[in-house]
Formats: sequence, structure tokens, C-alpha cells
Amino acid sequence: MADLRPILLVEDNPKDLELTLAALAKCQLANQIVIARDGEEALDYIHQTGVHADRDPGDPAVVLLDLKLPKIDGLEVLERIKGDAAHRQVPVVMLTSSREERDLVRSYELGVNAFVVKPVDFNRFFEAIQDLGMFWAILNEPPPRGVHAR
Amino acid sequence: MNATLDSDACAQEPIRIPGGIQPHGAMLVLAPRDLSVLQASANLTSLLTLKAGVTNPARLQDIVGGEALAQDVARWTEQEEGAFLRTCDMGERTVQVLGHRTSQGVILEFEAPPDSERETFEALYPRLRTFMDEITPADDVQAIAGHTARLARELTGFNRVMIYRFDPDWNGMVIAEDGDGVLPSYLDLRFPASDIPAQARELYHLNRLRLIPDANYVPAALEPAISPADGKPLDLSLAALRSVSPIHLQYMRNMGTLASMSISILIDGRLWGLISCHNAEPKRLNAQARAVCDFLGQIVSLQIGARERAAHAAERIELKKVEAGLLAELARAENYKAGLLENPAAWLGLTGASGAAVIADGEILVAGDTPPMEHLVRLAAWLKRLKVDEVFVTDMLSQHWPDAELLSETAAGALAISISRIHPSYIVWFRQEVVRTVAWGGDPRKTPVDPHQPLSPRASFETWKEKVRLRSAPWRESEIETARDFRHAIVNFVLKNAEEKAELTEALQRTNKELESFSYSVSHDLRAPFRHIVGYAELLSDREQSLDDKSRHYLDSIKDAALSAGRLVDDLLNFSQMGRASLTMTRVDMDKLVREVRMSLEPDAAGRDIQWEIDRLPPAWGDGPMLRQVLVNLIDNAIKYTRDATPAKIGITGEERSRDTLYRISDNGVGFDMAYVGKLFGVFQRLHRVEDFEGTGIGLALTKRVIDRHGGEILAEGTPNGGATFTFVLPKR
Repeated sequence: MADLRPILLVEDNPKDLELTLAALAKCQLANQIVIARDGEEALDYIHQTGVHADRDPGDPAVVLLDLKLPKIDGLEVLERIKGDAAHRQVPVVMLTSSREERDLVRSYELGVNAFVVKPVDFNRFFEAIQDLGMFWAILNEPPPRGVHAR
Repeated sequence: MNATLDSDACAQEPIRIPGGIQPHGAMLVLAPRDLSVLQASANLTSLLTLKAGVTNPARLQDIVGGEALAQDVARWTEQEEGAFLRTCDMGERTVQVLGHRTSQGVILEFEAPPDSERETFEALYPRLRTFMDEITPADDVQAIAGHTARLARELTGFNRVMIYRFDPDWNGMVIAEDGDGVLPSYLDLRFPASDIPAQARELYHLNRLRLIPDANYVPAALEPAISPADGKPLDLSLAALRSVSPIHLQYMRNMGTLASMSISILIDGRLWGLISCHNAEPKRLNAQARAVCDFLGQIVSLQIGARERAAHAAERIELKKVEAGLLAELARAENYKAGLLENPAAWLGLTGASGAAVIADGEILVAGDTPPMEHLVRLAAWLKRLKVDEVFVTDMLSQHWPDAELLSETAAGALAISISRIHPSYIVWFRQEVVRTVAWGGDPRKTPVDPHQPLSPRASFETWKEKVRLRSAPWRESEIETARDFRHAIVNFVLKNAEEKAELTEALQRTNKELESFSYSVSHDLRAPFRHIVGYAELLSDREQSLDDKSRHYLDSIKDAALSAGRLVDDLLNFSQMGRASLTMTRVDMDKLVREVRMSLEPDAAGRDIQWEIDRLPPAWGDGPMLRQVLVNLIDNAIKYTRDATPAKIGITGEERSRDTLYRISDNGVGFDMAYVGKLFGVFQRLHRVEDFEGTGIGLALTKRVIDRHGGEILAEGTPNGGATFTFVLPKR
């Protein structure tokens, strides 16, 4: 198993943030959880720029990305990550309230790794977050460090 | 029946080129350049005094008095003036000379006035003036015809003068008569169209007055018989002396009239009728008297024309009022068809009909007395084949459409207008049969027509009464024109409606777009707070393990309420998406899908005694995920509504048919009252109290929408506490 890399959680809604953190806490992941409150901050983290210029190097284990974000929205963040040869291996899970097909279609076009509509039922929401956390943070074998492009 | 008389033989008789003239006058045909004689009638020398020593005139001048006449004619030929009329002294005799130009030469006709003139020329015109004064503006056509018959007889002294009027089929009817009793009265009798064949009617246009002084005459031949100008027989269309058909002479003799004169009544260029004069004995009339009669004919034509136009205009104004009223009603109505049905009196009144039908958009709506529906369907098909462009009208429908023979009580006559350029859509007015007795001047059927026998005129003029069946009252010109106008109005109406519909569709599309963006924002912004409520309630109940029962109940209620609100939003979004999302049609293994759905719903059925009876299902053609949704909804319902049944029975069957595939899901649950079946598939329609059975009331609406979008059909049957059965069919590929 690879070393525990952080999970990047990009969420602007404080309540969703809190509930998501509660869900992640429930599954007792050891990974560090890095929070970005908008798309710009998320990209800063990925690129080690701005507020995240001084962070430890390395990609996150997974990006949990809300679709609707201030400044740069989720789809654009996804597009930038997947369009960048240096970071396109980073798994991105789109988390959204939207059940609109066009968002789903667009996300898959941009290369999203998973798309989760946040269920109203909190237990199911927990399950979804836990499944995602478990899969991407623990089970998924990340590419070796330093290997960027296929 | 009259058609049998209008034989080819009659119609082909060369009446314009008879090769001879009536012998009461003489004829010369002259070359216009030098007035040299091209042709002359055989009786020329016996009738006219020629210059001494001339037996065969070579030029006009060879006739006595020819010098002056020749100068006159020469002057006339150089001018544009129409006809030529002179009175010349030739020796002891006074001769009237009529001239007209033809391509075959200048034709001069010579007539010695009759021995006894009834009246002097000067006396004729005051009579016309009196006649004009006699006619009052109040007189209708009938009254004018009466005056005319009287005056014509006074002017001519014929034994009998009839005013003869043609009907649209060219049968003639005697509408007025004046006589001295020598000849029998023909008033109100009808004469078949064949009595005056088409080419004879044509001549009535060209030459408004025709006199035959003696039906027993022997024609005087033209010499040479063939025109030297073009090698053809001489065209005598415009000649007063033109010899008439021997058949016509025989007809006259049969009728007991040895002299006849007819004057055309032409209205707007159409032969309306004749002033027909008859005499038992031979009778001549001089050219001036004839000219006065011709003038009378023209006056009468104008008078009758004016009366008919005035009557027509009055009718039109009346009908226009009806039309305007009806159109106003149509504009207020939901659509033009509804408007017609709501205003039957105006609809029928438009053309004075006894019944009417509108045949459009696959439906037939009627007012008044109309043929039975199955006949109207066939009539529509027949009209379609007929390719009615604008208007089709007949007072004897059975003549055109044999099926109508059975429909005389409702549809002896019909007036149809085509109201769409694209679709076979019509408005048809009907008139019932009017049985009439018509008196013919002799049985029009009796004349045998044998093409191998010489044509013979009918011999009998005995009144023959015929009962006319299968005919309606004739449609007036004003009614036909009103129908034509109405057609334009309706066509515009339909077009306008179509435009409005298109506008509505546009508005609807706009609304749909707005709804779409609305549902998009709902999807994001409304679901989130519900999720948060549920989430926090959950966290709170996790955290506070020591909550008392009441507090826990409150917390659970908050959670349940938020959860159901969230589900409602989900269902609504699902429903709206179902209308918009495109279908991906494939072959769907329904057998597999049902088993899969059943597995996924297993938790809902946990702990229950459910007896499943699932047949092997045929495959369907459709959108897999959507059909899955249908099965989830229907099976979930079956599980839900059998909650109180022990054991619960749920059956699923399928059947492949020729054009579609049928699936049936039945249960023995609470069922429903068929009185509410119409509400079952409506959005937010619930037939059970919410505390009895949970649900948002959208599931079945969603199901129906999916089936609709597949072009299929869904039906529900149920009885209260007797279970429910949902049947849906999906068209095959």
C-alpha cells in the first residue's frame, strides 16, 4: 500500500462541508483531509501555488470535487486537472446535488473518475462518502511518484 | 334524359354553310377591291332587275341602279362602319340592301319589302318609347317578359310571341306569351336542350335576329357553290338570308308554324333566352321592322339584366349579413367547427340548405338533415377523388355520385367547398329532393336517334308531363358565390388558427425552457437544504444517545419530513427529465430486467409473505433505464399496496403480439375504485391517505410518461380491496 496521501475536499457550502467531514470521520480514514473552499484554491493546491505554495509536494490521493463552486466551478477545475499531463492521473470524484444529465455527461467527457449525486438520505450519503473514501484513498493503487504521463 | 336527343348528328349539321339562301331575297358576294361578283344566288335575276342585256352580272354596277349603289358600297367598304343598310329603287321596285364583310368577300343581301307592311317605319319607334315607359322599376323579370311578348306581337303581327328562357342545362321554358289564338299556347311548357342544338345557340350570339318567312321554301343555291376566294363553302353565319336546316323547317311544320322569327336575349354575353315569334301562315317582315325588333331585344336584355343583377345583389347583401354574423360567431368559438355547430341556422342559411356537414381532421360534424354518417364518409372519399378545387355544386347529386340515389330525402342536391389546400377537408351543404311536375312541349324522350337514319325532328308537341325526381331546388348564383366567399374566410380562419397554434407552441417551448432552468436550480438548491436537515438530524441523534423518547420522536419526524420532501424533489426532477431526455432504443430483456428489479426491491418486501408468479417475459423495444423505472414503479406499488394482504400475490406476465408487446402486473392488494381511474396517472394524484401508503404521487405519472414517450399505452384496472392490474403495451420496432 502506498503512503497515505491527503484527500482534497473542494466544497464551498459549509453545511455540506461539515456533513462530508462527519461522514469521512465516521469511516476513520487516516488520510489527511485538505479543504479548498473554491475552485481557485483547489487548483492552487494541485499546482502548489497561491495559498498552497508552501505545501508538501505530491498529488492528493483523491479530489472530492463539488460541482458548483465560486470563482472557478467544478467542471472547470476538473477540466484543468484532466487537461494537465502532470496531474491527470489524480482521481477526481464529482460530488453534486445536481441530478441533471448534462452535468453528468459533461463530467464524463472531461474524464471524471466517478460522479456521485449526494443522496438526501444521510445514511446513504455516509455510505457514498465512505465508499469513495475507502476506494480512492485506500484501495486504489496510485501511480508511482514522479510518473506523470502514460 | 335530354342528352339522348342532343345527338351528334344534330350537333354536326353544317348550319353555317348551308350552300344556299332563303328565296325571299337574293345574294351577291363581291370582291372588296373592285366589287366584282364572286358568287351570286340563283334567284338573283328573277328577283332583281339587271341592266339591259346582262344575264350574269360580273360587277355590282351591272345591276340597275347599281351605279349609285356601287358608289355607296365602295365608300362603305373603305370605312370601318359595321353593317350596311340602304333602301334602293331598282326600276319599279324598292329594294332593301343589307351588307356585311367576310373573309370570303363582301356579302350583299337584297330584299324587296313585303307587299303589305303592317306599320310604317316611323310608327315603330314610338311604340318602343311607350314600352320603356310601361316598364316600371317594380317589374320583375316575369312582368318584363309579359310586356315584351305583347309589344313584340304588336310590332310584328305574328300569331304567337313567346319569351323563351334557358335553364342551366339549356332546356327552354316559355315564361311569357302573347297570341291571337290561331296557334296553341305553349306557356309554361319546357323544351329540351336538343331543340336548339349548341351550334344553333352559337349563331344566336353572332346574329341576334333570325327570320324564316316560309318554312316551305325551296333554297336558292349559290353559284358557284364554292367561294372563289378560298375554295371553301360560303360562311353565312351573319347573313339574314342564310338558309336554315331542313330539320328545323320540318320542326316548324310539325309545330304548325310556317313563319318564325327569333330575337336573342343576351345578358352579359350569355344567351339568356329568346323572343320567339311564330305564324301559322308564311309571313315576312321588312328590314326596318326587324331592326326595331332587334333593338327591342337589346332593350329587354338590358332590362332583364338589370333586374337580375339587382335581385342578385339584394340576395347577396342578405347572405353577406348571414355570413358576417356567422364569421363573428366562429371567431368567438373555440374553433371554426365548434362555431358552425353552435350556429346551425346561420350555417344552413348561408346557402339556403336543409342540412350541412363539415368533414375535416378525420371527423364529420353535421347540422340539419343530412345523410347517415356512413354515407358522409363515402361522400368525403368521393369528393376527395373528385379533387374539388374550390366549389362543387349540383342540384342532382345522384347524376354525379350514384350512391346519392338513396339519399334524396336529405341530399338530392349538394354544394361542397374545399376548405384546405393540403387536406381533403370540406364543408358540404345539402338540399332535399323537391319533386316537381314539369310539362314538356312533347315527350323529350320519344325522338328515336338512329345515327344511320337521316335526322328527323320530333313530330309531336303534345304536352307531356314529367315528374322530376332526385333533384333539389337549384342553387342560386348568390348562394354559390356566398359559399365561395365563405370558403375563403374559412381557409383564412384555418390558416390563422394554425399560426396561432404555432405561436402557442413557441410560447410553450419558451415556458419549457424556463421550467428546465427552474428545475435545474431546484435540483441544486432545493435538495441541499433537505439533505442538510436530514444530515444534521442524523448527526444529532447519533450524538445524543440519551435523548428521551419524545425528543427522539421529534427528531425522527424532522428527519422523515425532510427526507420525504427531498424525495419529492427527486421524483419531480425525474419526472421533468423524463419528458426531455432522449430515448436510447434497444432490445430490452424484460425477463432479466424484472428479476433484477425484484431483487433490488427485496428490502421493501423483507419479512413479508409474497407469492410471486412471474412468467417468462418477451423482450421489449425501448430505453432500458426508463423501462427499468417503469418496472420499479409498478412492482414497488404492487409490493406497497399488498401490505395488508396475507399472502400477497403479485403476478407478472407478458405477451408478444403482432405489432406490440404487452406486459401485465397484477396484485391482490387494496386496489382502487374505477371511478377514479382517470386520476390515477395524474401528477400528485393519490388515491390513498398518505399515512396509509407513503409516496409522492408522481410514480404513476412518471410511468405513464415513459410509456407515452415509447408510443405505447398503459391501462389500470382495479376494485376496492380487490387488487389492481396494470397493463402496458410497447410498440415493436
